[in-house]
Amino acid sequence: MNVKSVLRAVALTVIGLFFLFPLFWVVLMSFMSNADILRNPPSPFFSPTLHNYIALVSGELHTNVGTQTVNYMLNLFNSTVLSAFSVILSLILGVPAAYAFARYKFRLGEDMAFTLLSFRFAPPLLVLLPLLMIFQSIGLYDTYFGLVWVYQLITLPLVLWIVRGYFEDVSEDIELAYRLDGHSWLSTFFHISIPLAKPGIAAAALLSFIFAWNNFIFALILGSSGVQPVTVGAFAFVTASAIEYGQVAAALVFSIMPTLVLATFTQRYLVEGLSLGAIKG
Amino acid sequence: MSTSGVASISARPVVRRRHPFLARALPYLLSMPALLTCIGIMVPFAMALWYSLERYNLAFPTTRGFIWFGNYVSLFKDATFWNTVVVSMTYTVLTVGLELLLGLGIALLLWRRSLVTNVLSVALMLPLMVAPAIASMMWKLMTNANFGILSYFVSLVGVHDFKWASAPQSAMFTVVMVDMWVYTPFITILLLAGLRGLPRQPFEAAELDGVPGSFVFFRIMLPMLLPYILTAGLFRMLDSIQQFDIIYSMTQGGPGDTLMDFQVQAYTQAFIFTNIGRASAILMVLWLITYVLSNVFVKNWLRLRERARGGV
Amino acid sequence: MNDKTTNLFSDYVAGRMTRRELVTRAGKLGLGAAAAGMMLNQAMTQAMAASFDWQKYKGKAIKLLLNKHPYTDAMLVNIENFKKLTGLDVTYDVFPEDVYFDKVTTTLSSKSTAYDAFMTGAYQTWQYGPAGWLADLNEFIKDPAATAPDWNVADILPGLLHSDSWSGVPGEPLGGPNAKQWALPWGFEANSISYNKRMFAEAKIDPPKNLPDLIEKAVKLQTDVKGIYGIGVRGSRSWATIHPGYLSGLVSYGGADFTLEGGKLKSAVNSPQCKAFTKLWVDMIQKAGPKNWTNYTWYEVGNDLGAGASAMIFDADILGFFQQEGTKEAGNIGYQAFAANPDKKDPTPNVWIWSLAINAASANKGAAWLLLQWAVAAQQCQFGATKAKLIDPVRQSAWDDAEFKTRLKEKYAGYLEQYTASAPGSKIYFTPQPLFFNLTTEWAASLQKMYAKEIGVDEGLDKLAESVMGQLKDAGIVQ
Repeated sequence: MNVKSVLRAVALTVIGLFFLFPLFWVVLMSFMSNADILRNPPSPFFSPTLHNYIALVSGELHTNVGTQTVNYMLNLFNSTVLSAFSVILSLILGVPAAYAFARYKFRLGEDMAFTLLSFRFAPPLLVLLPLLMIFQSIGLYDTYFGLVWVYQLITLPLVLWIVRGYFEDVSEDIELAYRLDGHSWLSTFFHISIPLAKPGIAAAALLSFIFAWNNFIFALILGSSGVQPVTVGAFAFVTASAIEYGQVAAALVFSIMPTLVLATFTQRYLVEGLSLGAIKG
Repeated sequence: MSTSGVASISARPVVRRRHPFLARALPYLLSMPALLTCIGIMVPFAMALWYSLERYNLAFPTTRGFIWFGNYVSLFKDATFWNTVVVSMTYTVLTVGLELLLGLGIALLLWRRSLVTNVLSVALMLPLMVAPAIASMMWKLMTNANFGILSYFVSLVGVHDFKWASAPQSAMFTVVMVDMWVYTPFITILLLAGLRGLPRQPFEAAELDGVPGSFVFFRIMLPMLLPYILTAGLFRMLDSIQQFDIIYSMTQGGPGDTLMDFQVQAYTQAFIFTNIGRASAILMVLWLITYVLSNVFVKNWLRLRERARGGV
Repeated sequence: MNDKTTNLFSDYVAGRMTRRELVTRAGKLGLGAAAAGMMLNQAMTQAMAASFDWQKYKGKAIKLLLNKHPYTDAMLVNIENFKKLTGLDVTYDVFPEDVYFDKVTTTLSSKSTAYDAFMTGAYQTWQYGPAGWLADLNEFIKDPAATAPDWNVADILPGLLHSDSWSGVPGEPLGGPNAKQWALPWGFEANSISYNKRMFAEAKIDPPKNLPDLIEKAVKLQTDVKGIYGIGVRGSRSWATIHPGYLSGLVSYGGADFTLEGGKLKSAVNSPQCKAFTKLWVDMIQKAGPKNWTNYTWYEVGNDLGAGASAMIFDADILGFFQQEGTKEAGNIGYQAFAANPDKKDPTPNVWIWSLAINAASANKGAAWLLLQWAVAAQQCQFGATKAKLIDPVRQSAWDDAEFKTRLKEKYAGYLEQYTASAPGSKIYFTPQPLFFNLTTEWAASLQKMYAKEIGVDEGLDKLAESVMGQLKDAGIVQ
């Protein structure tokens, strides 16, 4: 083994530790009782318990001041629905727009692109209170539709700029060749352009999903218990008598699952270099 | 032989356009829906702008009134505001800079495809999937002096009483670390996708010619990656300058005023002090700074694209 | 539920049976404690129905906005009884405390009709009241048609009722002649010492009598007992750091947040008494406080006591109460009333009062009042004190209740004595004014700076006074 690969291995190990150890510890905590977690000094030796997970799934939280109900399963469902629909909507709106900005130099093109990006600049707290009043008056408070719409501010710019970069990289020649063969623009778009940009679209979709999933303040203010996602729901374990760290840990583990599934699925697309090599080489 | 060379010599083949009007309208048709969906945000934005020009405190409904730039003037005269600017800028520069470096490094390490790198690619995304507010809660526990596992490890190497986020000197360090933990994977994913989309030809040619690694990296790879680096940097900059969840969850902006960045300051003004006018003014300033900075990023990004299109 | 059981409880409520008999016979009928509690409450509720027209708003619906708290749990356990009593449809949303007040502020400020009644603290009413978001409860309390004759408002500890009422004019005291009753006290907390008896026994010392004594003993405890720190107090950058132990001790030393000069408010945070006390306070934390003090909230303070990481806390009495069960140090917690000033004998605990209020924009205020009435009725208070964790109860009758006294004596030795000693001096010592949160948040930030030695105590308090007066001027409260 030469120096280079040793260094590589060391680097990968250190990086792996930094990013993964906290999660490992959280998973451990999810199997501990609160008394075990709050031990000085902390110890990896403990008697494991499924009590935290059971509390989440069954919806009952037993603390030392009684039993409280938690709706974490509903929160998970809400998060999934909100994030999924936000991403789908962003892809439908964003991919064609990204294509337009990448391929065509049209008047106002750059201005429009920048405007779409600028929606991301609006600090959430700035527009939150006015949005609340507007939503209440048009009846969008505490609805999936309302939140999915607001989430576009987060996901659409991201999809747009990532996918645009990808389209810019994809050479036009294959598309041109396909069209010369007699196919319509629409057919070209769906059969050539989109598949070629798959890694970019996959990355954009995954990242948008994550950002929508992790959003906190919009869901808190513009929604109520009907659409409460996991980010707000996790604070339910911060009870008056104690912070139930065990349950927060278990909740965290649950909340990562859907995103992890999506990530594993899109990993395939991120990895494919596809025919890019064929064109440019 | 590269086909692009041939194409640039001969005239472009003409594609028959059956509907010339439709062809010209196409870009607008493609991008309008996105624009229309988001344009609605202008309304609350305009309302917020209006608030920033008012003396508007929820607890004093009778004093509500238009004061033009009164809020802004009092902001610029206030030392705590300038502290906010410094805190936000420091945080942004530290997080974006460090994360870009680290993210690029990790992407390079994961570039070569093997079982280890494939597994790590997915595994390293996990921190990104944790909501920042919850991540902060967990890091707060891990750095707790009594029960925190990190405090314990650090004490094993002889550093007792490291204050993590509870002392002014180490608070910034702690929250930047949490931010890096959550968001470096974001940069890694983007750069990795970019790396894997790079054409292989230049690198194969360089290897054949015996070009040294550092040259390949700085003169070939980095310029090709620059657009992706800019995109990643742009979005991270937007997030960091607006950072709220991590800091508020950890210290509510303390200790003292050490971590009072824009949104934490605005939140305190709006929700705790019910001073909507002042909070809106603070956030309008933030919006303006963000606008200017983003302009810089985007202009550079476009310049790079132009260069890439024009030459080879 | 069969007739035999129903009659059993009705008999008890009607006074035809003693409590002991009830318990024995309920046990014989196979009723567990929880079921018995519920049914007893049901019978009591039915008895209430006999004296007043609770069904006035039958068929209407009300929605509650509640904080995730044991008080909420105590109410929700019996909410079905309330629904039956009044024929109202009751729905509720419960939010965790960290985000609860955000929700309340945004809801009220947008004049939303989504919620009719909600939980609040007294301090918040100093913002919500002047803003016009709260209904004045006096119009219900004083109206014989709206309030049951046997509801007995006098039974509610007068200090608490007054503390929830204010005229809204800065400079006028709480509970004054023009005061509007903005909220109804529901449960409260007095600030005192809760300590670890085992650790004190190990160090062979008694609970502290005053602040200098506390500092000395806290230092001794952390030397004698391994792996702990002496005294737990809150320190986060928030108003919540000022109102428990800090202000209680400050008042004992003769300090105050404001004084009145010619009827106008003047900041008194930089008075010599405040400075002397604050110096001791910061010294105490530096010598014997928690290492991450600036991150310490209610949760960390309580957790540490319950997990055996601290020897004592100077905070809400119920925080110590909660640590007596289900924690590592369960059973080891003792309680002591506390007067910080060595020259003063009587404790001066500042209080926090969780209260219920009615949204001014609500379309069902009358119906909402029925809920408030029921939640703070003698029966509910007694239930909460004996079967749930609605401590400290706001009614004198609950404190006089034999079952409650027994509960305290058996599991929470010393708590009742702590309360009796704390009670006379327990009230809100803050001066009501709408910039309460501005003052206290900045005060907390200032304390953090003093602790980190970024600024001296004298200078810090002077700056704070200056800043507060400036803000009051800007708001038009002082000239």
